[in-house]
Amino acid sequence: MKFLHLYYDIMNLYGEYANICAMERILTKSGIECQTDRLSIGDNAKLSEYDFIYVGSGTEKNQKVVLEDFRKYAVTLKAYIDRGGVILMTGNSFEMLGDKITDANGTEFEGIGITDFSVKEQNKKRTTSDAIFKADFTDRKLVGFINKCSEIYGIDTTLFDVLMGLGNKTDDDREGLRINNLFGTHLTGPILIKNPYFLEYIANLVVGGKAKINTKYLGFEKSGYEVTLSELIRRKSAT
Amino acid sequence: MKLFLTILICKLLHFFGKLIGKGSSLPGKIALKLCPDILKRVKLPEYIIAVTGSNGKTSTVEMIAHILTENGKSVAWNKEGSNQIEGVTTLVLANSTLTGKVKSDILLIESDERFARYTFKYITPTHYVITNLYRDQLTRNGHPEWVADAIKVSIKNNTRLILNADDPLVSLFGDGKDDVIWFGADKLESDTNYCEGKYDDGVYCPKCKKFMRYSSRHYAHIGHYKCTSCGYERHDTEYTVTSVDLDRGFAVINGKYNISLALKSLYNIYNILAAFTVASIVGIDENKIAENMSNYVMKNGRVVNFAIGNRKGTLLTAKHENSISYDQSIRLACSDKGGCDVMFIVDAVSRKYFTSDVSWLWDINFDMLNCENVHKIILAGKYCNDLAVRFSYTGINADKIKIFEDIRKAYDFLNCDRDEYIYTITCFSDKNKFLNLL
Repeated sequence: MKFLHLYYDIMNLYGEYANICAMERILTKSGIECQTDRLSIGDNAKLSEYDFIYVGSGTEKNQKVVLEDFRKYAVTLKAYIDRGGVILMTGNSFEMLGDKITDANGTEFEGIGITDFSVKEQNKKRTTSDAIFKADFTDRKLVGFINKCSEIYGIDTTLFDVLMGLGNKTDDDREGLRINNLFGTHLTGPILIKNPYFLEYIANLVVGGKAKINTKYLGFEKSGYEVTLSELIRRKSAT
Repeated sequence: MKLFLTILICKLLHFFGKLIGKGSSLPGKIALKLCPDILKRVKLPEYIIAVTGSNGKTSTVEMIAHILTENGKSVAWNKEGSNQIEGVTTLVLANSTLTGKVKSDILLIESDERFARYTFKYITPTHYVITNLYRDQLTRNGHPEWVADAIKVSIKNNTRLILNADDPLVSLFGDGKDDVIWFGADKLESDTNYCEGKYDDGVYCPKCKKFMRYSSRHYAHIGHYKCTSCGYERHDTEYTVTSVDLDRGFAVINGKYNISLALKSLYNIYNILAAFTVASIVGIDENKIAENMSNYVMKNGRVVNFAIGNRKGTLLTAKHENSISYDQSIRLACSDKGGCDVMFIVDAVSRKYFTSDVSWLWDINFDMLNCENVHKIILAGKYCNDLAVRFSYTGINADKIKIFEDIRKAYDFLNCDRDEYIYTITCFSDKNKFLNLL
């Protein structure tokens, strides 16, 4: 199988390269050979060749630089999503998929228009929070961290329900973006390491029933997940 | 009258606060409530030196204070570590007369990088040192560019910047300015021509976002860089580390001042260089500065030697959520040719705020520990599972690694007849959980 880590050197702000490592390991442990291409600005990826694509988060400035390059994939990415290709975009990377991003100075940047939503940034306050999310595709809650300075308006097909943390916009109890097998979320960092059950779900989608996914090796991952979840629940009930 | 009363109240609160061991920010907080522009009304000394940046602030400030004091200057500085506007207000008022005149020759302020704009709204530093900008406490700081934007608005036109020329993001503060004082290191023997870390924040030019090239890397994105597109490049330096020998433990500044290192890390050398620069600008004889810095042992408790039974060890305070500080501590442990065991404790990610985020573990280059000098690796604390997962993605043999959620059990494991030196690497938030067991 072929994976693509797109903008690996510029959209990798919170140890997010580890999401690709997690995917490589779970497939290798399941007896499936996989290989990852790490591409960035100026490269020309043939998206149709890949079984899994990952993009991480970047600074606001870097996101705008990447957006100009990302634009060239508007058509091929749409085709990839339409055929059910699996793609995970964390942090502010999925903000590029909408109509526009307005930065803190009021400058507008056109998105690549995969779907209709708009993003508005500010530069006064960083909005951050630990998070507990619920998804409709797994009984296991997700844990993670959000680190952003934007509000997202107009997403109907969200990915998660917010049990703790931040939604797409202020006082929103829904978070992220889901279209077919596109998963966009403002959770940052190695979310596939922190959430072994989500990793299992994504791995199953990627192999599409062609192999049984091995999860036996995920002992420490699962213990780490349980500790974090219980810490967050304890914190939530204390506040 | 308002000035007099505010200063009096602040001084009294500070005095009693010290008696009962309370923090140093409350008196300033109350003073600011009573008189919001108090800092503008106080008469400040000739030299107001501010220090900010991600890492090394506290150490640099301590070293500057040490040199200046040794050379007969009186220095008011925030040694109690409160580095936001409230703490700085306490510092200023506690050191002024009741009529509002700071009594010291020099006011030396360590400033929190994100809140510097509030502090320096009323106080204009004569000199402003910016040490570096790293990925540091991103769960509250966002990212280095976000912090840079916050620092930028704290810089005033009539302040002279003292900048680390080897850090491209820091150097940008001096872009287009002609009175900046630059410090940095020449190409060193330990330099590499690639980035050793798990990520590289020096790939893209901070000015135009095109590719940068490094002719030499000291560590991470610190080195000699030049943009391939806009030409933005490392500035020549006036204060320079010209050579370093970490094995023998010395550094040379400006080709002639030999400084013996109490802590053999490049990281520490940058703090010394920044302190050297400031002291020289204030007019201290450079031979004296070198003498004061030689074998200087920090008093801020960040390096603690200890013994467990017959075994000796050193606790190195790294900062959680700060991969470069971990990388530097790890490098120091790995260079111990006598062989060592290395312990990591992650029990509370922060002592000041709550988070369970451990993403930062993935930015640390733990792979360096896969070397002959390191024998056993001990992972301890509440987040030991996350550490264990992280280590499973290094090439280190699992037999070398011991995992204990309970820090006492990890301590008991170390309390044996092994010969290896012990390095315990952890953060302020967790270090006493270990030290209290000794």
